[in-house]
Amino acid sequence: MSAHVGLPRSLAGRLGARRWVVVGIAITFLICAWSLGLTPAGLVPPDARHWERTGNFFAAALSPAMDYQDPDTPDDANPIWLKGLLGLFHTLRYAFGAMSIAIPLALVMGFLGASAWWPERRGPLLGVLLRGVFITCRFVMSLARSIHELIWALLLLSAFGMSPLAGMMALALPFSGTLGKVFSELIDEEAREAAQALQAVGHGPIQTFLVGIFPGALPNLITYSFYRFECALRSSAVLGFVGIETIGLYIQLSHEEFFYHEVWTYLYFLLALIVIVDLWSAGIRRHLNPATEWRTVR
Amino acid sequence: MENSPVRTERIERVLELRRQRPRSWFLRVSWLIALAMIAWAWASSGPLLGRLSAERRRQNFLNFCGELVPSPVQKSGNWLEAFPWAWELLAEDGFIALLITVGIATAAIILAGAFVLPLLPLASRQLARPGPFGVWPGRGGRIGRIWWRLIGPATRFGFVLCRAIPEYLIAFLLLSLIGAHRGTGEFRYENAWPLVLALAIHNLGILGRLWGEVVENADGAAPTHGIASGGSRSGVYATRVLPAGFNRFLIYFFYRWETCVKDATVLGMLGLLTLGKLIALSKGFFWDEMFFYILLGSAVILVGDLFSTYLRKRLR
Repeated sequence: MSAHVGLPRSLAGRLGARRWVVVGIAITFLICAWSLGLTPAGLVPPDARHWERTGNFFAAALSPAMDYQDPDTPDDANPIWLKGLLGLFHTLRYAFGAMSIAIPLALVMGFLGASAWWPERRGPLLGVLLRGVFITCRFVMSLARSIHELIWALLLLSAFGMSPLAGMMALALPFSGTLGKVFSELIDEEAREAAQALQAVGHGPIQTFLVGIFPGALPNLITYSFYRFECALRSSAVLGFVGIETIGLYIQLSHEEFFYHEVWTYLYFLLALIVIVDLWSAGIRRHLNPATEWRTVR
Repeated sequence: MENSPVRTERIERVLELRRQRPRSWFLRVSWLIALAMIAWAWASSGPLLGRLSAERRRQNFLNFCGELVPSPVQKSGNWLEAFPWAWELLAEDGFIALLITVGIATAAIILAGAFVLPLLPLASRQLARPGPFGVWPGRGGRIGRIWWRLIGPATRFGFVLCRAIPEYLIAFLLLSLIGAHRGTGEFRYENAWPLVLALAIHNLGILGRLWGEVVENADGAAPTHGIASGGSRSGVYATRVLPAGFNRFLIYFFYRWETCVKDATVLGMLGLLTLGKLIALSKGFFWDEMFFYILLGSAVILVGDLFSTYLRKRLR
């Protein structure tokens, strides 16, 4: 397959046969598995107690709880379906709140971290300034996203106490980093012809950006934002594990009490919500019909 | 000038174009729902800053920031003493936890990839249908046709389900089911499978979608020819589709590896193995150590990020 005479040789070409890449990956896996002690024995429950637990857990999948399993539940508690729905609403609330902070932040960062709008003719001073802003912005964005949202939550909740805003910010900060990075890349990937034509007839950099570049990139930005919203929803559910009241918290509490039927009820609620949002987001992608779909990595 | 006929005619044409722009009720309803939800999210959250008074909050915050400073520095005020302190943390647990984090991420993403590869032809909209690539294969009975009509949507839905559940949740459930430890007494060790499996399952769904898009966007000429000249689905997949998409597969593979490193760090907060374990253990008692481990984790992620960006650029 590999040795075609006279073809330009990219890295993939030089790596030569794809088979070596595959073999390399397989060897890497073996090394990891060996050093982590990943034996088949680790895959199955170790003793009768765990076997029983596993059996109970998966059996409960077929009969999710229609009522609380806890006999001590007060009589005036919400029925379980209402509790599940409320959990979903809290989950949605954090996701929407976080995205409404993250997208404006990311738009600013994405603009400053892109080079497409830079004026064609610029003095050395302006050049250095722009480059400085560009690099600082990129660095801040990678810093924000190199800390996982759960750890942001841990830090923010410890620093400011439990509050809805702290939970939203914990999601918004890393998400604005990721969104901003992708926004700036999408803006830079946009074709420059229109922008160059506008600059040639004397428009300023901001005008050029707003008229010549941004509208072209907008469908991609929107579809990517929706994809990130799906991620925010999942992360919001997980925030329950640090004590914020989303459906993750209910799952954790029921699971620790071994109320597996309740766990499955909440899991099915969460699954349904995520699948619905997935379909919604696919519909938006289809209607906007962006040029580069969410193939853009990240 | 304002009222010249040329000007109004031009404006009319622009307005006409605006009226003719494509509009979709689906998008409009979507925007309305999204805006309404955002307004509701902010309005319904209760006191946004929590119930503490502003003064109390400021005090908490300052205390917290003070606690983040390495303990020897807190006592002496000399930042040079932070280096032996950091080195000790690194040598004691940090470095091992860091290696384990990367190892878990790597094992998980390779496992996910290995399972996605054979599933891809079943999920492909072109291959998994009665007539692959629009070519009637000329064989297969009624059951075969039904099978090929159902298997595509079923596999794709399987991918959706896999990526719908957050990996942290899967890891949490698996830990209590298959157990966090193996061996007894002296030979007791922490079982990495729950974390690896959780990451692998979630990424199976994501790679399935990303790689599926690569397959779907690829040029169909070669595989169509393969099918038309009598090739089987699996044969065409292995010899035409897979080689053509290989580089793009690798691009996504490294991108997901990078996110796996990030997620593996946090999975440790469930209480074992990775950097997250150290973070969770020092939380509340040794804030300075916790902050050090967090910085260590983000350094690893930054390096992984740079490495994977470099590889992806080279592969493009």
